[in-house]
Amino acid sequence: MNAASESVMDFPSVREEAWRYTPVDEIVSRLEAATAAAMPPTGASVSLPVVDALAGDHAGPRIVFVNGAYAAHLSADDDDLPAGLWCGLADLSHGRAAANVALAGIDHAIDAFLARNHADGRDSAVVVIDPGVRIDVPIHVVHLTAPDDGDELGDSATISHPRTIIDVGDDSHIALIQTYCGLDGRAVTNASTTIRIGRRAEVDHCRVQTESTAATHIGHTRIEQEEGSLLRMTSVTIGGDIARNAISVHLNGTDVQTELSGVNVTTGRQRHDTVVTVDHAASRCASTQRFRGVVDDHGRGSFSGEIIVRPGTVATDAHQSNRNLILSPNAEADTRPWLQILADDVRCTHGATVGRLDDDALFYLRSRGIPLDAARMMLIAAFIRDITDAIPHESLRAHVAAIIASSKSVVATDIERLK
Amino acid sequence: MLHIANLRASIAGKTILNGLDLDIPSGEVHAIMGPNGAGKSTLASVLAGRDGYDVSGTATFDGVDLLALTPEDRAAAGLFLAFQHPVEIPGVGNMYFLRSAVNVVRAKRGLPEIGAMDFLGLAKEHMARLEMDPAFLSRSVNSGFSGGEKKRNEILQMSMLEPRLAILDETDSGLDIDALRVVARGIERLRSRDRSMLIITHHPRLLDDVRPDRVHVLSGGRILRSGDHQLAAELEAGGYASTLAAVPA
Repeated sequence: MNAASESVMDFPSVREEAWRYTPVDEIVSRLEAATAAAMPPTGASVSLPVVDALAGDHAGPRIVFVNGAYAAHLSADDDDLPAGLWCGLADLSHGRAAANVALAGIDHAIDAFLARNHADGRDSAVVVIDPGVRIDVPIHVVHLTAPDDGDELGDSATISHPRTIIDVGDDSHIALIQTYCGLDGRAVTNASTTIRIGRRAEVDHCRVQTESTAATHIGHTRIEQEEGSLLRMTSVTIGGDIARNAISVHLNGTDVQTELSGVNVTTGRQRHDTVVTVDHAASRCASTQRFRGVVDDHGRGSFSGEIIVRPGTVATDAHQSNRNLILSPNAEADTRPWLQILADDVRCTHGATVGRLDDDALFYLRSRGIPLDAARMMLIAAFIRDITDAIPHESLRAHVAAIIASSKSVVATDIERLK
Repeated sequence: MLHIANLRASIAGKTILNGLDLDIPSGEVHAIMGPNGAGKSTLASVLAGRDGYDVSGTATFDGVDLLALTPEDRAAAGLFLAFQHPVEIPGVGNMYFLRSAVNVVRAKRGLPEIGAMDFLGLAKEHMARLEMDPAFLSRSVNSGFSGGEKKRNEILQMSMLEPRLAILDETDSGLDIDALRVVARGIERLRSRDRSMLIITHHPRLLDDVRPDRVHVLSGGRILRSGDHQLAAELEAGGYASTLAAVPA
C-alpha cells in the first residue's frame, strides 16, 4: 500500500467499538491544525541531561528521536551496541535494515492515523536482534517532542509521527523500553510501533508515555508473536492532554505466552484511553491483561479490552482484569471487556472494578501521624504496585514512581472532597 | 492530660455520646467498660478524629483543643488509638508504614529521622518483646494477619510511636490467653509517669494484668459510675444491669 492510497483512508469514528471512548473529532482537528517541527528543533535545546531527566538512563543502549527525527548526538554509537543488535533508520542502506522488509506484511496502516504516520513520518527507528541473542541491558528507544517556541497564540501545535519497527530473532531474549516524553508545550504525537517476536524468543517490553499535559498522543502498538514466544509488556500512561494507547497482540504460533499490564494516572482534565486487543489465532496460548487506572480531578480514563479466540484453536487461556481508582467526584472511569470467543476449548475470565480510596485505610494511616497527602499517595501507590513492581528495571521503576509521585493533581488534596 | 466535658457525638442523626465527662491525669491508666452499644468505640473514634460524626462539647489534650486537630496532628501531639479492628492495607509494606509514621511523628516533635538500618534493628527489638516474627515487617500492613497478629501489630506501633496518651479499643477482644498475656505485658511495659492510657474493654480479664487507676462504666453515651479497680470485679460479679442499678438516681 503506498502513501497516496493510504492518505485517503478515513479517520475512525466513535461509532467504532475501538474508538468509543476516544474524542476522535478533537484529535483529528488538532492533528490537522498542527505543523511539522522545524529541524533541528529551534525553540528548545535538547541535550543529554534533558533526555536523562525526561526518559531516564536505564544502562542499556539508547536511541533518541526528537520530533520524529533521529538525533545521532543523543544516541548510542553503533560501536557501543551489544553483539547481535542493530539499531538504526529504515532508510539507511544497511544490510540489516532489509530485515524490516520481513515486517512489511504486518506493518501496514489500518486507519488514517497510521496512514499519516507512514506517509508523513520523518525517520523510522529500526531495531533488529539476531536469532539466539541474549541481551541483558534494556534497549531504549526514546521519542521526545520539543514543541517549537514563538507560538504564543497557541494556534499551532508541533506534530511528529514516530515510527518504530522491531524484529526479534528466534530464540533471542531481550528487554525493550519505549519512552514517549516531551518538553512543555503543545505537541501532537502520532506514533506507531510494530514488533515481531520470533519463535521461542522472550521479550520484556515497557512503554512509558510521559509527554507534557498539553500534548496529544495517539499510540498504536502492534505485536506479532510466533510459536513458543513470550511477551511481558507493561505500559504506563501519565502524560498528554488526550492520549490514546492502543496495543494489539497477535498470537500467531502455538504455545505463545502474553502478559500485558498497564496503568494510567489521569488528572486535571486529561483523557486517557487504553485499547487492548489480544488475538488468539493459534492453539495452546495463554494471555493475561492486567490494567489499572487512577483518575483524579476532572480526568477521564477508559479501558477497552478485547479478547479474540479464533475458530479451530484449542486449549486457550485468556484472562483480563481492569481495576480503577476514582479520587474525585468529577473523575470518570469507563471499562469495557469485549470478548469474541469463537472456539470451545477456552478458559477465559474477565473482571472490572471502579472504586474509591478506602476511607478506613486512610484514617488508619492518618491516625499514625501520616499526613493526608502522604497517606493518599501511599494508597495510590499500593493500588498500582502490582503493575509498577512488574517493571523489570530498577531505574525505570524509580523513574516511573518519581513521575507519579510528582503528578500534581494526584498529590494535591481537597479535604472537602473526602467528606 | 485529657479533659473531656459534655462531649456529644451523633452519626446520621443518632446520638451516641450524650454529655460525657472524663478526666485522665498524666500517668494514670483508666478503663472504660460498658455494655454493647454504650458508645465506647465511638468515644475512641471521636478522640482520634474519625470523620462522619457530629461532635460538640470539649476535649482538650494538654490544654489543646483536640477536636480542632486533624487525625495526623492528634497523633503528632501524642495521641494513639489501638484499633478494635485494625485495617488491612494491601500493597503498603508494614516496615515502610511504621518507619514513615515514626519519622513523621518524630519530625513534628523536633527529633531526628531514624535511618532504615537503625529502624530495622529497633523494630526487631520491639517485635521480639511482643513475640512477633520479624517476617511481619515485610508483609503488607495487617494484610492476612490473624486477629491476634493484628492486635500485636497495634501494640508494636504503640510502643514505637511512644504516645503520651494511648487509647486501646478492645485490644483484648479475640485474643487467646497466651496472646492476651503478651499484649498485656506489652501494655504494662509502656506504662510510665508521663504516659496515660484509656483502656476500653468488655472483659475484666485484661484488667487483672494491667491494673487501672480508675474504672468507669459507660452506658447510654455517658459515664454512669466511676471507681477504682474494684469496680471491675464488681461488674464481673454482678453484670452491668445490677451494678448500674446501684447508681443513686
